[in-house]
Amino acid sequence: MENITTFKQRWGKEIKAFLNHRLGVIGLAGVVILVLIAIFAPLIAEPVSGYGAYEDKLLPPSSEHLFGTDDMGLDLFSQVIWGTRSSIKVGIIAVLLALVIGVPVGLLAGYFGRIFDTIGMGITDIFLTIPMLPLIIVIAAIAESNSINTVAFIIGIFSWPDIARITRSSTMKVCGMQYIEAARSLGIKTSKIIFKHVLLNASTPVFTNLTIVMASSIVSESSISFLGLGDPLAHSWGKILHNAYQSGAFGTAWWYSLFPSLAIIFFVISFNFLSMGIRDALNPKVSRE
Amino acid sequence: MGRYVLKRLYKGLITFFITITLTFFILRLMPADPATLLMDPRMSEAHRQQMLQEFGLDKPLIVQYFSFLKNLLKGELGISFMQKRPVMDIIAEKLPWTLLLMITTQVTTMLIGIPLGIYSGYKRGTLFDQIVNAVAIFGISIFVPWLGFTLLYIFGYNLAILPVGGAYTPGIEGGLKYFLDVGKHLILPLITLMAIYLANYVLYTRGSVIDVMSEDYIRTARSKGMKERRVLWKHASKNAMVPTVTTAGLMIGRMVGGAVLTETVFAYPGVGRMIYQAVSQQDFPILQGAFIILALSVIIMNIVTDVLCAYLDPRIKLN
Repeated sequence: MENITTFKQRWGKEIKAFLNHRLGVIGLAGVVILVLIAIFAPLIAEPVSGYGAYEDKLLPPSSEHLFGTDDMGLDLFSQVIWGTRSSIKVGIIAVLLALVIGVPVGLLAGYFGRIFDTIGMGITDIFLTIPMLPLIIVIAAIAESNSINTVAFIIGIFSWPDIARITRSSTMKVCGMQYIEAARSLGIKTSKIIFKHVLLNASTPVFTNLTIVMASSIVSESSISFLGLGDPLAHSWGKILHNAYQSGAFGTAWWYSLFPSLAIIFFVISFNFLSMGIRDALNPKVSRE
Repeated sequence: MGRYVLKRLYKGLITFFITITLTFFILRLMPADPATLLMDPRMSEAHRQQMLQEFGLDKPLIVQYFSFLKNLLKGELGISFMQKRPVMDIIAEKLPWTLLLMITTQVTTMLIGIPLGIYSGYKRGTLFDQIVNAVAIFGISIFVPWLGFTLLYIFGYNLAILPVGGAYTPGIEGGLKYFLDVGKHLILPLITLMAIYLANYVLYTRGSVIDVMSEDYIRTARSKGMKERRVLWKHASKNAMVPTVTTAGLMIGRMVGGAVLTETVFAYPGVGRMIYQAVSQQDFPILQGAFIILALSVIIMNIVTDVLCAYLDPRIKLN
């Protein structure tokens, strides 16, 4: 009970601000829908694979095939639904990796400063400068077997620089606070200060950014799959577009590329709106419009 | 200024060095090494050894690394597996097209995005601002290949007013005609990339205009009776532009990714499309070389942007 009151006291204003943010709420709804689709995919559509019937080739949308069929005669609705699952999975793995690498780097750089800061931020800057997508493409091209997990891993290990930067700057802000100074002068162990006091208070801006990492990891995954480097067995929106491009049916079968593209747009917009909502709720100066 | 430029060059050099070192070791430590990818499983062991020797892959990793660096200094990036020509020569043919596409995108997005962001930040909350915001977010979220195909379909096939791909019409050479032809081929890829990167500038500038408008010097300017127009375009925008322009460098790195996809869709003969082709042909030296050259171009463009910024706003040099 006590916990609930403190939570409400701590976040009540922010939650209210978020609920008043129209785009933020739309984004949250979109994210909830996507997660539900990913979880309940087996109940929504039968998974399809291999080759369909010849007479089912490139059928336009109808009541039987809501999104039409592809050049293999396979139902596109099912592929888009199951693609949601892959996308959420890739997003989650990428976000977790970004956290596991980015937060410690930012924390060390921000808390200890000096040499930690120079090296940590130096590496972060380099990773921010180099063209990430071509590097991911090159690595994905060489990786032996591109399961969806491998793709997610490759994307994840390059998603951390933004997280590191944000963790660093908010750590530095928190470290300037008096309670950290108090904790230090009380002789509390450094590790305890970092994990209990600094990390907890510095984590809010990091969470705002996770939704952006989620959105951009899907763009990367779709790009890799579109170039034909994705998991050949998994359903992915980028892979459908790859097939559409390869089949040459782009000009004739508009539904082939439209629905997976809309799915990508829906995914990215939802997470971007959600992050706008969270950001503005935490930073009232910009949100008061 | 001279010292700043030197410092920036030095930093760029270190970035490049670490980038190529990282790339080298990441690629060599992958489970499947390029030689195995290239080799036919039916090849005899002796043949395999001979091939490893030819590519220098039989030596210890560290030796390979130094000979890689030595070759790089001489401007050699190896031989393409498929085309059997020096990678450097192949890239030299493709790079100008990629640079043309990226530089025109960068310049036009800044010219359109920054004023749009300034005005929409100034008119914050109005219908104009909301429309600009919504369009910008939508732009960020669009998937490059789809936008590219849609534009191709509408303007290339249906209306048939723009070319359906490539960077120039073979046969047209020299003078104004060639220039116009190249421009015509550039339009659709340019629009595709712009749609996606415009939002970054718009949203960034908008945010900083909102911050700047509450500053004391804006109030001072207003209380002096200065016209609103002058307050906005002279005083506010000058300061609001600084954070935007400083991120321009970072944007270039991200744009390269978009350029790979755009070039693929429009069959634009740049480095990006070359990467796509090399991927399907497993042409490893091309992939590595393309990445190194792209990284180098991004680093150079970054330095140029930073130096330009420092020239425009001397405060940057102090940081």
